[in-house]
Amino acid sequence: MFLTIIFLHLSKKNFSASIAYGLQSLVIVLFFLNSFFETNNLAILLVVFLMLIVKVILAPLFFIRLIKKNALAFSVSTYLNMPLTIISIAILTFIAHYQKFSPLTSIVPANQDSLSLALSAIFLSLLLIINRKGALSQILGVLSLENSIVAFVVFAGLEQNPALQIGIMFNIGIWILIATIFMSMILKHFRTLNVSSMNNLKD
Amino acid sequence: MEIIFIIITFVIIVLLNILIKRRLAIEFFSIIASFVALFESIIVALKVSTSGIYSPFVFFCVDSLGAIVMLIIACVGFITTIYSIPYLRKETAKNIIGFTRVRQYFVLLNIFLAAMFLAITTNSPVFAWISIEATTLSTAFLVSFYNKPSAIEAAWKYLIINSIGLLLGFLGTLLYFTSMSSLGENGFVSWQSLLANVTHLDPLIAKIAFVFVLIGYGTKVGLAPMHTWLPDAHSKAPAPISALLSGVLLNVALVIVLRFKIITDAVVGQYFTQYLLIAFGLFSITIAAFIILTQTNYKRLLAYSSIENMGIMALGFGFGGLGVLGAILHMIYHALIKSVLFLSVGTIFLKYSSTKISKIKGALTTLPITGIIFIIGFLAITGTPPFGIFFSKVLIISEGIKTYPIISVLVLFLMTILFIGFLKHIISMFFSKKPEDIEGSENNVWLIFPPTILLIIVVILSFYIPPFLSILINNAVSNY
Repeated sequence: MFLTIIFLHLSKKNFSASIAYGLQSLVIVLFFLNSFFETNNLAILLVVFLMLIVKVILAPLFFIRLIKKNALAFSVSTYLNMPLTIISIAILTFIAHYQKFSPLTSIVPANQDSLSLALSAIFLSLLLIINRKGALSQILGVLSLENSIVAFVVFAGLEQNPALQIGIMFNIGIWILIATIFMSMILKHFRTLNVSSMNNLKD
Repeated sequence: MEIIFIIITFVIIVLLNILIKRRLAIEFFSIIASFVALFESIIVALKVSTSGIYSPFVFFCVDSLGAIVMLIIACVGFITTIYSIPYLRKETAKNIIGFTRVRQYFVLLNIFLAAMFLAITTNSPVFAWISIEATTLSTAFLVSFYNKPSAIEAAWKYLIINSIGLLLGFLGTLLYFTSMSSLGENGFVSWQSLLANVTHLDPLIAKIAFVFVLIGYGTKVGLAPMHTWLPDAHSKAPAPISALLSGVLLNVALVIVLRFKIITDAVVGQYFTQYLLIAFGLFSITIAAFIILTQTNYKRLLAYSSIENMGIMALGFGFGGLGVLGAILHMIYHALIKSVLFLSVGTIFLKYSSTKISKIKGALTTLPITGIIFIIGFLAITGTPPFGIFFSKVLIISEGIKTYPIISVLVLFLMTILFIGFLKHIISMFFSKKPEDIEGSENNVWLIFPPTILLIIVVILSFYIPPFLSILINNAVSNY
């Protein structure tokens, strides 16, 4: 999962970034599938099924369709250049493993390394949203942030009851749909997905 | 039962609005839904005022502050629904929007109101998060309603910034759950169970969780520096939606922050959350005061005024004691007055077709009644006596002066700057010569009636608070 976020930072192609997000979501689905095998709770299986449909299949499909329809093969540039991006990734990963965050990463002492990695994934997802100028990359950043938080929650043993998880999945599904519609609207009005071209609103 | 009735009514009306093809029916059903919500909210508020808390099912729980905010949602929701009808009819007459847009508007408006009711009444912090996220999703298309590049940009910023904020708020919410040895019956965790388990919550985790919650939900509250989406979204949405966003939604998010504040205070003491609220509140007031001074767009002016007022509320809750009473009163007065102001500028926009302050001249001559309503609203929102906000500000500052004198004096100074800035724009818009090409008459009596009703409520509440509301306020003060 962590590697997919690194890949999202390095990727210059929207298509491969969308696939990376699908893979990342598949990892989350596997976490929950494992949880189902441990508890035999059928409601968790329903959550797994919904996640698979929404995050692994539908979301990448939506994005790929948009990419193909509008010839958006390459993602737009970043605010930081590649060496600076890599340095930032290294620093944020280091910070997530820093002693100061030990109250968070030692919620479940046995999962300390996994929690640290999930925390770095949260930080790197935030960096992805801030650093990328492309609307699609920002969407992938937000969705990756959500996946990272879910991973953190799983490792910390804080999973919600299936009914609430279905509610959360419904929200995410609607969010993906709305974000995709907005991307189409941005393309229509600005002829690019580069958010730095949106500068109508100033004080 | 009342809460379920409100939600079911909104759901049915949303479905009807999607199916029905007659504008009049859509408008009528929307008014019915908001009236039902108002009626049921009053019943809930009365019940809470007598029993202290109202929890018909384990899933719903309304405390005193929840009941106050419910009343605010219902009252402003009802008035804005009434106002929306002539407002959208005028826009249709001007060929700005068509029937599809009108239907979309009422569908989303009803979803938005339902989501706010759910957020404030649910007993589950996670479902409160889902509901707050639903308010973002339902209003994103209302922000981009006019389908102009600037509106799309505002909606995009609104969607992305709020989604990031709310995801961080979600992480903060779940960190509080570390106190639960097992996640309750069927994994259901309520606000009460979180509070009952505070002894098991690690103080460091509680602090980190509150920071996440404050940054997360604080984004939705519009606290600086997470406020950047607010002036854009509130200025681009249709005026009635701006009234709901500014007057109501910000309070809903603030109540969620305050619920987590209670839990955090029980673990780490009150000073940690107080310092954070004071810091964010002060920063919000400062940012708003200086930007209002140089503002060129009257809807953004009102949006920055909302940032300032949310900052004042944060300050009040941060100061504690009398400050909490001041903050709760401020929440009520601000919600009503800000809605009056946004509805009035909606009428001004219909007349002048511009949101630029420089384009609005002689508004008092062109729209005499709306002009007077707006000027009274301006006096009320800036804390001019004898309006209620004057008293709420006095309460907050008088509490602050005891423990944080420098901050209190600084806030007074910023409020003065803000008043001057606001007044400068008011003089320019209302007391100048009317352009010859603008006809001098009110648009429609139904555009005057809704803000007038709200203004009358504000004036009455400035001098007299009904006993049931007084009980709710006192109970909320002792809880928060």
